Amino acid sequence: MQQDPTSEDLSVLRTRDFWAALVLMVVSAFFLWRTFDIPLWGGNRAGVASASWYNSAAIVPLGIFSALLILSIVLLVIAIKAGGAKQALSAVGIGWDRAEALRFTTIGVILFFYVAGLVPRVDFIACSGLLITALIFGFHKGHSKRMILAAVVLALPGLYAFIAHLPQAEWGAHDDDVVTLVVWAGLTVWVMAKSQGDRVLRIIPLLAVLAPLLLVCAMAFGFRQNVPNRGGIIFSQIEYHYYVTLRPLWRS
Amino acid sequence: MDFVLTQLSGFGGAFYELAADPLTYVYLITSVFLGITFGALPGLTATLAVTILTGFFGNKIPLDYSLIALLGAYVGAIYGGSYPSILLNIPGTAASAATAMDGYPLAQKGRGGEALGLTTTASFVGTLIGTIALLVFVWVLLLLSKNIASPEKALLALFGILLSGTLMSEDLVVKGWIAGLIGLAMAMVGLDPLLSEPRYTFGWSYMLSGFQVVPVLMGAFAVPQIIEGMRHMEIGKMAQVTGRILPNLKTVRRYLPTITRSGVIGTGVGALPGVGEDVAGWVSYGVGKTVSKEGHKFGKGSLEGLLSSETANNACIGGALIPLLVLGIPGSPPAAALMGAFKINNIIPGPTIDPDIILRVVAIMLMASFTMFLMGLFTARIFMKILRIPQVVFLPIVMVLTTIGSFSVGGGINDLYLMLGVGFVAYFMNLLKFPIAPLVIGVILGGLFDETFRRSLLISGGDIFVFASRPVASVLLMLNIALVMSQFPFIKRVFSRLFRKIA
Repeated sequence: MQQDPTSEDLSVLRTRDFWAALVLMVVSAFFLWRTFDIPLWGGNRAGVASASWYNSAAIVPLGIFSALLILSIVLLVIAIKAGGAKQALSAVGIGWDRAEALRFTTIGVILFFYVAGLVPRVDFIACSGLLITALIFGFHKGHSKRMILAAVVLALPGLYAFIAHLPQAEWGAHDDDVVTLVVWAGLTVWVMAKSQGDRVLRIIPLLAVLAPLLLVCAMAFGFRQNVPNRGGIIFSQIEYHYYVTLRPLWRS
Repeated sequence: MDFVLTQLSGFGGAFYELAADPLTYVYLITSVFLGITFGALPGLTATLAVTILTGFFGNKIPLDYSLIALLGAYVGAIYGGSYPSILLNIPGTAASAATAMDGYPLAQKGRGGEALGLTTTASFVGTLIGTIALLVFVWVLLLLSKNIASPEKALLALFGILLSGTLMSEDLVVKGWIAGLIGLAMAMVGLDPLLSEPRYTFGWSYMLSGFQVVPVLMGAFAVPQIIEGMRHMEIGKMAQVTGRILPNLKTVRRYLPTITRSGVIGTGVGALPGVGEDVAGWVSYGVGKTVSKEGHKFGKGSLEGLLSSETANNACIGGALIPLLVLGIPGSPPAAALMGAFKINNIIPGPTIDPDIILRVVAIMLMASFTMFLMGLFTARIFMKILRIPQVVFLPIVMVLTTIGSFSVGGGINDLYLMLGVGFVAYFMNLLKFPIAPLVIGVILGGLFDETFRRSLLISGGDIFVFASRPVASVLLMLNIALVMSQFPFIKRVFSRLFRKIA
């Protein structure tokens, strides 16, 4: 299970540990400070004395964040002893890999705009279809230009939905659904144009339509569960025809 | 004797009831197939299979079907990992990493079919050994656990987190403990269990109910794998498998002592809180190499080496369920996901669990292992074809599954934000070699630890010696202290000197 890292890997790891320990120290100190907002030594709320120290809601978090602070210091000491502090500010020291950073950033952007921008506001089938198309096309061959393109096509409708319909009261609007569908269609045409000789790219449209369609229908009609954005432009039609056109066929 | 007969008749009743229901087979075949597929695809793990199915089946169907789906996927995924290990030299799951050591050399010698037949049999026998151990020990421990009160529960929860942090850490043990503490800290968010005091809610009403288990599971196990797996990978040349994949009964008989030993080791390792199938596989492989007459052949295509790891990793499943069902402490990362499924079904594993559920779990395990055995023998070629699917095709669909599963369990967009946040943090933790399993176990056990720790102090009027006042509590306290002390450099030095003298 355990692999012996090379000395170079270990050096990079300790440099990263140095920064991780610092972040952990700040976080644990912040939450220790917040813990003191919870009555510890028998607080008094509206004239009613609350519990003793040993029953206080603060006692366990206090222990946890103190332990976290101590262990962060231990990690910092280990990292410094191993030379982590010396290389802390050099790109080579922390093992900065430009290609890997681009890969992570583009995936991060895609996932962020999918979850925070599209899923709450846009039809689930449309936004998931766009996600599947963008992710497979962008990362299938590892081309950096395709990764950037995938991130941009996801970020555009995500940003539009986010800005145009920020409050929850506006999540039912359909203009962002249309924008997403147009972007998805455009990307699909682009993918098809590039798909000569590539079997993976050729099956993208099929996967992008079928996978979210089947999943959302199974969840909504099979398991009768809530699904994101029931009023979405495609799903609302499916739901309508399921209950009005299809269901009466076997109910009657 | 009466007790044993009652349990056996109860088990028989549960088995018959499940076997007589046609829907059982639908869920069983689907989940074992999905499990083997997840295990066979490099980059997808058993934990991910159980986590995703928890979101999808967790609380949407009757508990029996839900357990069939999750346990079937668990058993199938651990077994499925052996396919890429043997045919591509890429472990499908961490649990089958040791399998690759001998499986791939065997496949290169043109004995891939034999290796697959043997791993199928070994996985089947291993699962059976774990299941029998589960049936026997769960009752013994349940009887003992009636004497377990708040101090013991608090110390057990702490021991589970510390042990998992110690054993699951790839780099420094301190990182495992930090991960466990981060999990514990996450469990502190929301109204506290005794006084309903809000903690770290920052005025956000969503936070009052604390972090939900399923989005945390999805975030911790699924999102980092999706981020990590979305890269271009050339699938290596697959070893050719000719002829039918059948178990070689003569070889199985010859290596029966090895299979039995590995099954016992796997079950034992699985029963340790938080320690998963990968550790079981390696420990059994290591023991096999030391005690076997063929030890020098290990790593060069030894059938004994193959059987050692593959029996143990499947036996670990039954072992991992023992602490989960008896104490409410997951024995492995997939068992932690299973605990999430219990939680969303309002079932609290532990001494108060309905004994009928345990009997059903055992019956389902038995059925799942048979299904896995039959599928392994008759549908192996399908899984070999699945191996060729690049993970960049599969992972975007996993992301959609994760999103809809996480949303439908809690029914809120906030759960998705939580999932994504935990996912990004978990990805960076992976990058920095912090183990994720202790974090998840910390989140799951944090509430139990908080409640039982403070209740112990409340009952004793603030006397901290309550944690050493009863025999079991004293033993657990000593174990916790010993575990922490064992990582101190000067104690390590003393012990290594001592061992050298003895040697």
